[in-house]
Amino acid sequence: MRSIFLLDLTQCIGCEGCVIACKVGNELPEDVTYIEISEQVHGTFPNLSGGFANHRCYHCTDAACVNVCPTGALFQEDELTRVDSSLCSGCQYCVRACPYDVPVMVDGVATKCDGCRDVTKAGGTPWCVQTCPSDALRFGPRDEITAEAHQRASVMREKYPSAQVYGESQTGGLGLLVVAPEDPDELGLPADPQVPFISTVWQDIVKPGGFAITGFSIVAAGFAGIIARRNHMKELRELAEQGAAPSHDGHDDGEVQQ
Amino acid sequence: MARVPLEITRRTLLKSGLAAGVAGAMATTAGATRSPAHADIRDDRWFDDGDVETTYNACDMCPWHCGVVVRTVNGVVRKIDGNPHDPKSRGKLCPRGQGGVSFMYDPDRLQAPMVRTGERGEGKFQEVDWEFALDLIADRLNTIKERSGPEAVAFFGHTAGDSWFAEHLPQAWGTPNAAKPSTSLCISPRDEASLMTFGFPVGGHEPLDWEQLECVALIGSHIGEDARNTVMQDFASLHGRGGTIISVDPRFSSAATKADHWLPIKPSTDTALLLAWLHVLITEELYDVEYVEEWAAGFSQLAAHVEDKTPEWASEITDLSPEQIRKTARAMGEHAPKSVIMPGRHVTWYGNDTQRMRAVMLVNAILGAYGREGGMYFNDTPFISDFPYPPYAIAGSAGGCAADPDDGDDDDDELGELAVGPTGKARADGAQDTFLQGPTAMQELIEPMITGDPYRIEALICYGVNLLHSVPLPERTKEALAELELFVAVDVLPQEHLAWADIILPEATYLERYDDLYTMSHRTPYIALREPAVEPAHDTKPGWWIAKELGERIGLEAFFGWEDIEEYLDDRLRSVGSNINDLRAQNGVIIQEGKPFLEDYEGASPFPTSSGKIELYSTFLEAQGLDPLPEYEPVEDPPEGYFRLLYGRHPVHTFAKTQNTPELYELFPENELWLNADAAADLGIDDGDYVTLTNQDGASDGPIKVKATQRIRRDAVFMAHGHGHTSPGLTNANGKGASDTKLMTRYNLDPICGAAGMRVNFVRLESSEA
Repeated sequence: MRSIFLLDLTQCIGCEGCVIACKVGNELPEDVTYIEISEQVHGTFPNLSGGFANHRCYHCTDAACVNVCPTGALFQEDELTRVDSSLCSGCQYCVRACPYDVPVMVDGVATKCDGCRDVTKAGGTPWCVQTCPSDALRFGPRDEITAEAHQRASVMREKYPSAQVYGESQTGGLGLLVVAPEDPDELGLPADPQVPFISTVWQDIVKPGGFAITGFSIVAAGFAGIIARRNHMKELRELAEQGAAPSHDGHDDGEVQQ
Repeated sequence: MARVPLEITRRTLLKSGLAAGVAGAMATTAGATRSPAHADIRDDRWFDDGDVETTYNACDMCPWHCGVVVRTVNGVVRKIDGNPHDPKSRGKLCPRGQGGVSFMYDPDRLQAPMVRTGERGEGKFQEVDWEFALDLIADRLNTIKERSGPEAVAFFGHTAGDSWFAEHLPQAWGTPNAAKPSTSLCISPRDEASLMTFGFPVGGHEPLDWEQLECVALIGSHIGEDARNTVMQDFASLHGRGGTIISVDPRFSSAATKADHWLPIKPSTDTALLLAWLHVLITEELYDVEYVEEWAAGFSQLAAHVEDKTPEWASEITDLSPEQIRKTARAMGEHAPKSVIMPGRHVTWYGNDTQRMRAVMLVNAILGAYGREGGMYFNDTPFISDFPYPPYAIAGSAGGCAADPDDGDDDDDELGELAVGPTGKARADGAQDTFLQGPTAMQELIEPMITGDPYRIEALICYGVNLLHSVPLPERTKEALAELELFVAVDVLPQEHLAWADIILPEATYLERYDDLYTMSHRTPYIALREPAVEPAHDTKPGWWIAKELGERIGLEAFFGWEDIEEYLDDRLRSVGSNINDLRAQNGVIIQEGKPFLEDYEGASPFPTSSGKIELYSTFLEAQGLDPLPEYEPVEDPPEGYFRLLYGRHPVHTFAKTQNTPELYELFPENELWLNADAAADLGIDDGDYVTLTNQDGASDGPIKVKATQRIRRDAVFMAHGHGHTSPGLTNANGKGASDTKLMTRYNLDPICGAAGMRVNFVRLESSEA
């Protein structure tokens, strides 16, 4: 079934149940998580607001990671982006291209949330959704998730006047819609995530042409400029440092030493 | 979406021969990115390794005991999920529950029984077999009993399995000195206050009718950090439908981030706020007049008592504005009776806690909440028979956690008789002397181990209680442990206090054993199964086995008249027309019906007080010479340069039990010291710096990492409880963070229930290396 995620940050209470459920269910190695939760509190005592930000794969429709992947290890299926690590050549293009700073390298190959592909294809629910005690996660058909996201945002506007739905337009529509209690930018969610132009070039021109070797170098050259703009995680960390530290260390360079 | 159990779904998973297609795509790369060629890209998931077997369990990662389903493949536990049929977990699970697999496979686990070979505290042990260890314990216990009577043996127990070690064994053996940390170090003030007001304790699962609740006030309850699964779900449900949330907390807690009203109260002044709330509710007639007339006694005294407890009066004390106090009282009144102050759990703060909790009960009472839809329901305990055994050597529940001398049919305002053991000794914790009543106070049994006053506690059987991280004054505890004739520790991990034990008995984890049935007091009372998913690792044994083997060696065979635990469970289940197999077939739970609301009593009083009414004015307390209505009593403020030490929860850890669990350790390896960012700047301390903490008596601990934050008041610091382990056997947790308990060199004894108020310690900060 084609389903997408709902992440309601007005509800998330930062318990990290999803993080561990994902880690155990997906047998992630030490120091690797597909979800990171950090506090996002603004203001000065006692005038405070905020809650928790999540950092996880947003399952772009126009997905930079998929576009730049030279081997097909990253691919799109049922509205989500998937990973077939057995195909990964270790080039790290996805790591550099992702506007949300999501894929990480583990033992030389790229990995990220694949929407619990094997579990959901068998009719199950992604581990994170299944366990969430805060009713912050859902998984269902896009139309239902979209309607629910708007419904939730509208109820929450009473408590959070800026509550809004994020992800309907970004990168052609995300496979994970966020109900944000405030300006998504404050939560590390850029209004206009930059999908590198060069990745489109790669996807539409170079790769079909089969100029694999040339393409590698073109892309590598193009990335230098792109990376400089793809800095929302850095901003997020800075924000966290101003307010308070994230609940645990983030993966600073997107690479995990095993 | 339907949840499909994995063992079934595995069979429906297509195993087509598409691997060749994937390989082809890899060779050419072109077209692979959007190809459907990945239909079966992995077959190495844990659920691909073999048949997925399901067993039912009651999670033991915290004492909440959510029902879980445990998935095991080829004899290895791989995943734990909430049991959708269980009234507590409802298919969900908190981070600690998810970490259960990691807890079980922790390489640091105790592996075999051990006998001490070095000095107490030195940590030198010799592995022995079970026969030898149990015979040795029995021999020493029998000697002590003969010489000093069974009362000289204390039993401490906590979490699953404590029914064997803190209730059944000590009652059969004949000692009143059995205690659980969950009472005098946690909920005693709450339950005693409820008992005095409504005639029954709050009970394990705070009975809020969350489904219809409209307004909740939290006094220090930090839901979300306190990650009790059911409560997080209920709180989220209230928040998600726009319910009103009031958080009273010196800290902008996770729950406060969801609150409509955050009251950053000065610590220790909550009773003043509660009295002012009562004042507003009564003077503005926002309370439930009819309910109070029908069900409550002593309203006029209460009204007179709070007449001068104005928001302006409370404002001076609490650091809150009169407007905040009025506004929140009105919000509560507006939603009455669907409006409740959550009783909370750990409420042993300042030593006057029973009176503060009385004030909480009074607010809930006049809001008309108890027995009303959207308010609080009446808990019921499920019906099931005990396995037949002879009468206990000490009456009723006197030896256990629920021990209460006022338990009998006590219609007057006199204290009940304390139960005595076979040689005539009552509990040694000072009940009816230094405090009135309540369950046995664990921390008050430490001193008699040292002084012999009123008589010497010579032996201690300690089941699952992390003594040096739960009982204040840990140095006194060490001294006491050194004095004991016999100290036996039953545990899973090499916690610090084990270094003082004469004999260590390694227990199997909850995933490796049966236990007694879980009989949950609840809106729908229910019975839950714990069954083993795998055989016990190493040379560990289940608690029931240890209790039975020990019992049979100390003359208590008659109390263990069953061959094995399955016979015991089947016998009990027969009384509800079931057995283990049936219970398993019913998804591990038997749910009964309760009588949650007033209308279920058809006019009869559901309040088992002597008057049959809610006792707003306590004639019992008056007869004991104590305040019949709660008064605000100031406690000492921190001196210049010191902060009040507050402590609480982090969502991925439980008590001092899980810090070493690899998956949980990874997420939160060390606790942090929350320090107001402006106070930090004044001290020249940056976020992330390490500091050493020294308390008012010179006790120190650390280093601990500073979290400089706007989320806490300037006069207090906060840390997650349970860190700062110093046991070298805990490879992960050893030396990480600081221990709040080590900084508790004093506590205030609650004169009513004997609880230890622990938020009366102050610390100063000194820069330190990590």
